[in-house]
Amino acid sequence: MLKVENVHKSFGGILALNGVTFSVEPNSITGLIGPNGSGKSTLFNIISGFYNKDRGEIYFKGKKIEGIEPYRIAMLGVGRTFQISEVPEKMTVLENLLLAPKSQIGEGIFNVFLHPLKIKRENEKLLKDAYEILELVQLYHLRNEYAGNLSGGQKKLLSLGRILMSDPILLLLDEPTAGVNPTLIRDLIIAMKNLRAEKGQTILLVEHNMKVISEICDRVIVLDFGKKIAEGTPEEIQKNEKVLEAYLSGSSKWELLHEDS
Amino acid sequence: MGLVNFLVYLSIMMGIYAILSLSLNLQYGFTGLANFGHVVFFCLGAYISTIIVLVFKMPFILGLLGGMFVAGLFGYIISIPTANLKEDYWAIATLAAAEIVRIFFLNEDWVVGGGPYQGGAFGIGGIPQPLRSLFSAHTYPFFYLAIVLVCLVATYIIINTLTQSPFGRVIKSIREGDNLPQALGKDVKRFRMKVMAIGGSFGGLAGCLWAHYHGFISPNQFLPLETFIIWAMVIVGGKANNKGAILGAVIVMIFYNSTRFLKDYIPIEAVTLASLRMVAIGILIVVAMLFMKEGLIKEKKTLY
Repeated sequence: MLKVENVHKSFGGILALNGVTFSVEPNSITGLIGPNGSGKSTLFNIISGFYNKDRGEIYFKGKKIEGIEPYRIAMLGVGRTFQISEVPEKMTVLENLLLAPKSQIGEGIFNVFLHPLKIKRENEKLLKDAYEILELVQLYHLRNEYAGNLSGGQKKLLSLGRILMSDPILLLLDEPTAGVNPTLIRDLIIAMKNLRAEKGQTILLVEHNMKVISEICDRVIVLDFGKKIAEGTPEEIQKNEKVLEAYLSGSSKWELLHEDS
Repeated sequence: MGLVNFLVYLSIMMGIYAILSLSLNLQYGFTGLANFGHVVFFCLGAYISTIIVLVFKMPFILGLLGGMFVAGLFGYIISIPTANLKEDYWAIATLAAAEIVRIFFLNEDWVVGGGPYQGGAFGIGGIPQPLRSLFSAHTYPFFYLAIVLVCLVATYIIINTLTQSPFGRVIKSIREGDNLPQALGKDVKRFRMKVMAIGGSFGGLAGCLWAHYHGFISPNQFLPLETFIIWAMVIVGGKANNKGAILGAVIVMIFYNSTRFLKDYIPIEAVTLASLRMVAIGILIVVAMLFMKEGLIKEKKTLY
């Protein structure tokens, strides 16, 4: 599904990514972990086209994606969320969701005047989908609230709901559960599992919450200082000395990570 | 009778400026494009329509459509090289583009064909008024007011329909940054170009109406100052609200013309009073920014 090969990226003197290689299998949930500054978000930005890489290749569904604008990558079916939620303040929660679906008829200027009925029908269908997703992320009661008035956690939920509306093949989720309360995290875990099972979506997520990682990920990739230091199932990663060292400078154990989250 | 004439004149000006403020509102209020050169569309609409009608002897309606087309095209074109500029640099670039066009018309007098039409710094006079022969000097302004109002209503309906459509949703998301719409597969650059083209062509419409009303145009009527008067309308009326844009145009036009009457009450020279109008508008902007940041009519929440 997604293949990242030997990707390098530096910002001035900082080598953010130093030859990262991994692949994501179709219909899998892959976790991307690593200490702060290890290059996770940079990698996301490169895959989704927001940054240009210095070297290396990225393949999506066997096709090389190179030097194309972020919106084209999104059109190919790569949906992403941002670590710091990108939420248009002056648009309601519902509008945020309705914005997401790709290539809507009503986005064309002439269509607005030529096909008002088609647009109305399209909108009604999208509204139905939006209500379902709002129930899922538990924001239904806030549907007519300005997105700018939501809390940090709610914005995260909105971002997740919005990307689901756009129906991507591959979801890149940047810390989807940061700032979300534990009971809702439980629901989100179930939701992500369902997505994979029902819609066959593939998920790559950056996450600091190890509980989430152990519960939903098939594979985990660990980055440290821009390099992949380990890859494997959550169980394997838990026992990996290198990972423990990177995370806790070797001073403690995986359980501590659990507590931490 | 003097008062009625003045009120008709004022209403025509309000109508023309309301079209300008609606079109700037689409660009700035809804899409967040800080267009500091909006007067360029006004100028292009006026000149192109004048050339079509006066020099090529075509009917008014073709002048109007031609002016709109060229102004819209210009908006589309200037958004190509500026597509990657950040807001403040974009503002400077549009300001410069407007000045380039004005100075072009100031220096290149051949564009109006020379001969009887002087062009250049002398301006162009004798611009025909549509269906002038059917009305008396007395009733014609009322007819022209009707033309302006029809154009204003059409502009309002078109821009309002667009801003409430899925297209409007996308441009509102662009207003707060490119990242999100890009991540959702929206071709942000193209949307921006479209907005510049639509806003530009309605700016052109206003210019055309202005030229054929006054019958005379010259480059110094299209100074950057005009842009800021239109900005004042959007800020005072309420950005991202189409009714607000019209209300803003009405209020600013009243302020702009108020000093005309002050000379009867205040012992100040007329020349000084004329300069005071800009002070009045400046104060209006400051008051709006301090006490009603969102303008007189706030942005309407879209509910489903």
